[in-house]
Amino acid sequence: MFKTFRFTRKVENTLMFIFIGLFLAFCSASPDMSVDSLKSVLLIGITVGIIYGLVAVGISLIYTGLDIVNFSHGEFFMLGAFTGLTVYNFIVDGELIYAIFPEAYGWIAYVIGLFFAFVVMGLFGVLVERLFFRPLTRKGGGYTVAGMGIIICGFGMSVVLQNLAYLIWKPSPRPFNAELGMPINISGLTLPMPYVWMLVTGLIVSAALYFFLNKTKMGLGVRAVAHSKDISNLVGINVPLYISITFGIACALAGIAGTLVGPTYQVVIYMGYIILLKAFASAVVGGFGSLPGAIVGGFTVGLFETMGSYYISGSHKDAFAFILMILVLLIKPTGFFGVSVKMKA
Amino acid sequence: MLKINNLVSGYGSVQILYGANMKVDQQSIVALLGGNGTGKSTILKACSGLLRSWEGSINFNGEDIHNLPPHEIVKKGLVQVTQGKDVFPAMSVAENLRLGAFVLNSNKKLNDNLEKVFDYFPRLNERKNQLAATLSGGELQMLCIGRGLMSSPKMIMLDEPSAALAPQIVLDIFKNINKIRKDGLTVLVVEQNVRMALLLSDYGYVIKDGVINVEGDSKKLMYDDSVKDSYLGGTKANV
Repeated sequence: MFKTFRFTRKVENTLMFIFIGLFLAFCSASPDMSVDSLKSVLLIGITVGIIYGLVAVGISLIYTGLDIVNFSHGEFFMLGAFTGLTVYNFIVDGELIYAIFPEAYGWIAYVIGLFFAFVVMGLFGVLVERLFFRPLTRKGGGYTVAGMGIIICGFGMSVVLQNLAYLIWKPSPRPFNAELGMPINISGLTLPMPYVWMLVTGLIVSAALYFFLNKTKMGLGVRAVAHSKDISNLVGINVPLYISITFGIACALAGIAGTLVGPTYQVVIYMGYIILLKAFASAVVGGFGSLPGAIVGGFTVGLFETMGSYYISGSHKDAFAFILMILVLLIKPTGFFGVSVKMKA
Repeated sequence: MLKINNLVSGYGSVQILYGANMKVDQQSIVALLGGNGTGKSTILKACSGLLRSWEGSINFNGEDIHNLPPHEIVKKGLVQVTQGKDVFPAMSVAENLRLGAFVLNSNKKLNDNLEKVFDYFPRLNERKNQLAATLSGGELQMLCIGRGLMSSPKMIMLDEPSAALAPQIVLDIFKNINKIRKDGLTVLVVEQNVRMALLLSDYGYVIKDGVINVEGDSKKLMYDDSVKDSYLGGTKANV
């Protein structure tokens, strides 16, 4: 009866180019525009982008694996930041670390914090999936009535997890003073160490995820379950286990991203909310359900937001990500790496 | 090898099977025939664990596999190849086959099986680096059967291997099914193509309305009028 209106691919791409061109023109018309500022804005944009990418990959993984959109994913990010902070402080407050590493104790404690954020959030994610999402998804995923229920449950879970953090860590913001050394100089740009850590760790983690999904047997299983639970069952994959693994990995990625963001800002129990929406925007921009798309979408949103806030209007920083998302949904609803549902593995 | 006793099952609250009894001997090919919606695929799904059986028992190789999780059943050596050529389209043919061997722990065995599958279906070897989405219908069916063979099963259940394929390819696939049996596997074949299935198999079951209606040697069934009746709806039309 109603035919859904779609542009042809060519029109879609042209419109996207026009839009991005307009945005760049606006940016270059700004009085702050210079090569130096552009360099630093691009660098910060990529750094922020990889964090969005990591969280967005988690959202996409859960979407492909479980057919639900996890609206409590931001809270795993927040809990990861708190876990990293607590582990870091625990190590630094103890005397042991100074005895072993009198010089570079800061980054060693930070690495341990990252590791703990990864592992603890992974296990916690598995627990949450087993206890709460498993019984709910049994009633059917996607956008069925049960699926709508799951979306609301996601928000509920988010409130519950926030209050859990409130009970454990109290509501006041906490500074994350990681002793990571002096800012480094890259061809005239000074980049604070937390950003270097973000960039390097983010790239390593995404590379590791790529390796895991494409080269290991377990990764093959995760991709198979993401595509079809029935065929996965028939080739002998323990589907419930692999769904847990998928959820755990997604939460672990969010946890590590939280610990990476911590030192650049402060750790608050409300920090998960905005990152969830930004990561959601990244996933949509890159193509919902596509993992490379999530990373690319993260970069796009990060760059877009940083450029917009620096050159156009600093007070509307958060708006740019969502303007981009809305435009992508209007013009090119499949996103950059749009995957048809059949090919989502 | 496989013994189904008084199996009752269905989807949700819709009952499909009303007490089906079947027996598949070792190293034989058994055909399960029947019209649309009579419960052929339901039997297979209950055997492979995709569907819970409500009543009755399923015995495989002396063990009760009734309502075990599907991956446990695959580990025991009973593999189902689904209808409709379900593959992972975004993965290469080789990756698809490797997934079939997911329950195996040794790489050597995997490579042996891969060679065996390529021996049955040389076409897959030619296309092993292609994405599965680019294969033709016949090649997809070969890939599905090949994937089933990858886990070194003892018995394989094929759900309509001839559906929507050209006669030449059907012949080729049926020849290969015969070869698979000669190599020591047991085969249960669900078919709509009655003549081909009965030519291929040793023993046949005809299912109607969720119960086994007729059974017997395939050669005898070929000339049995009741088979024809079950296919044409059971009640003879009054002309």
